[in-house]
Amino acid sequence: MSAPGAGTASSDFERFTRATVNLLEDAAAEKSRLEGALRAAFNILEDFAEEKRRLEDNQRAVLNILEDAARERLTLEDSQKAALNILEDAAVEKGRLEEMQRALLNILDDVDVQRASVERTNRILSEEVERRWRTEGELKAHAEALARSNAELEQFAYVASHDLQEPLRKIQSYCQLLERRYKDELDERGKTYINFVVDGSERMQNLVRDLLAFARVRSAAKPLQPTDAGASLQEALGYLETPIQEADAEVRAAPLPLVNADPSQMTQVFQNLISNAIKFRRPDAKPVIDVRAHLEGHLWHFVVRDNGIGIEPAHLERVFVIFQRLHGRGEYPGTGIGLAICKRVIERFGGRIWVESTPGEGSAFHFTVPALKEEGA
Amino acid sequence: MTGTPRVVVILLVEDDAGDVLLLREALADARVVNDLHVLGDGEKAMAFLRRLPPYENAPRPDLVLLDLNLPRKNGHEVLQEMKADPELRAIPVVILTTSDSEADIALAYEHYANSYVTKKSNLDEFLDLVRKLDEFWLQIVRLPPPGGAAPPKKGLP
Repeated sequence: MSAPGAGTASSDFERFTRATVNLLEDAAAEKSRLEGALRAAFNILEDFAEEKRRLEDNQRAVLNILEDAARERLTLEDSQKAALNILEDAAVEKGRLEEMQRALLNILDDVDVQRASVERTNRILSEEVERRWRTEGELKAHAEALARSNAELEQFAYVASHDLQEPLRKIQSYCQLLERRYKDELDERGKTYINFVVDGSERMQNLVRDLLAFARVRSAAKPLQPTDAGASLQEALGYLETPIQEADAEVRAAPLPLVNADPSQMTQVFQNLISNAIKFRRPDAKPVIDVRAHLEGHLWHFVVRDNGIGIEPAHLERVFVIFQRLHGRGEYPGTGIGLAICKRVIERFGGRIWVESTPGEGSAFHFTVPALKEEGA
Repeated sequence: MTGTPRVVVILLVEDDAGDVLLLREALADARVVNDLHVLGDGEKAMAFLRRLPPYENAPRPDLVLLDLNLPRKNGHEVLQEMKADPELRAIPVVILTTSDSEADIALAYEHYANSYVTKKSNLDEFLDLVRKLDEFWLQIVRLPPPGGAAPPKKGLP
C-alpha cells in the first residue's frame, strides 16, 4: 500500500523489494515447481527406464521363451521325428509280428497236419514193429528149422554114405569073388557081365560119395575165417602129387592173398580145378596151369588157367551143373561133380565162378572170393 | 602041443551074412589057420565071452573082430563091456566096420579098442586087408597068454 504521499522513495523500495521478493518467491516457487517437475520427470524417466528394463526383461524373457520354444520346437520336432520313427518302427514291428503270427498260424496248421501224419506214422511204425517182432520170431523159427534141417541133412548124408554104400560093397566084393572062384567055369560073356556089374556098382559108389561131398559143402561147413589161399593151393597140390607127376604137369602160382573163406573148402576148389586141368589136358601138350589173383573192390578175383582141350561156348554154363559131363564115360573118368562142388563152395563164400575157354587151346576158370574185412576199396 | 602051432581062436561079431562069408573067404585066402566063431549080435557075443548058457564051453578068443552096427547091443557097447571086465579086457579087439566117421573112430579108441579098420569095397583090397590083419595080429604081435581059459581046441584049418 502506498500512502499517498508518505514518503514515495521508501515505498518504491518496498515495492521493489516486495516485487523482488515476490519474484524470488515466484522464482522459488517456479524453481520448486521446476524441481518438482524435474523430479517428476526424473521419476517418469526412472519409471520409463524401469519400464524399459521391464520391457527388456520381458523381451528377453519372451526371447528366451521363444528360444526355449524354438528349442522346444526342435526337441519337439526331434521328439516328433523320434516319435514318428518309433511309430514307423512300431508299424514295421507290427508288420513283422503280424507276419510271425501268420507264420505261427501256418506252423500251427502244419503242426496239426504233421501231428496227424506223425500219428499215422506212429500207427504204421507200431504195425511195423509188430510185423518185425513177428518176422523176428519167424526168422528165429526159420533159423531153428534150418539148424534142424542141417542136422537132418548131416544125418542123411551119413546114412547115404554108410548105408547106401553097404549094399554096393557087397555087390562089388561078391562079383569079384564070383569071378575069382568060378573064372574057369565062366565064359567070356559071363566075365563081361560080371565086369559090368562091378563097374556099375563102383560108379554108384562114386556117385554116392560125391553126392555126400556135395551135400557136406553146406552141412559140414566151417564158419568163414581168414584163409591163406596160397596155403590152400599148396595143400591141394600135395593131394595131387601123383597125377601131377604122371602127367608131367607144371603149376605156376603168383603169390595168393588172404581171403574170407573156409580153408578146407578152399583147398577143395583148387584141387578140383587143377585136377580137371590135368585130366582134360591135350595129348600133345605138357599141361601148364597158371594160378593168380588180383583185387577188385572188396573181392579177390582168382584165375586158374590151363592149356588143355578147352570147352565149347555152348557148354560154358553146363559144366557147373551137378553130374553134367561133356564126355563119354570111357573117355574121361569122373562123375561130373567137381565143378558143381566148386560152384557151391564159391557161392557159399559169397563169390561167383565162371569159365572162359577156347576149344583146343585151353580154359580159364575165374572165381571171386571176398577179401578180409579191412581190405578192399 | 609041441610042434603043433596053436590054432588061433577068432571071434567075429558081425550080423551081415555077406560080410561073414567075405571074411571067411579072406581068411581062407590068407591061409590063416584059425578057429572062427561068429556071432550076430552084441548080447550073444557077451554071453559067449562070459561063457554063459548056451556058450558054457566057449573057447576064449585070442582076437575079437568087432563090427559096430549090431542089433540089440552095438559094437561100442560090447567094446566098453569087454574093456571094463578084468577077465576080458586083455583080449585084443579089432574094430572091423564100414564106418569111417571120425566120431566112431575116436569113440572106439576112447573105449580102448586095440585098433580100428574100415572094410574095403574092393575084393582085392579086402583080401589084402585080412592078410595084413593076420600078419600083424597073428604073426607079428604077441598075443596075451591064454591063462585061465579053457584049453585051446584043436581047430580045423
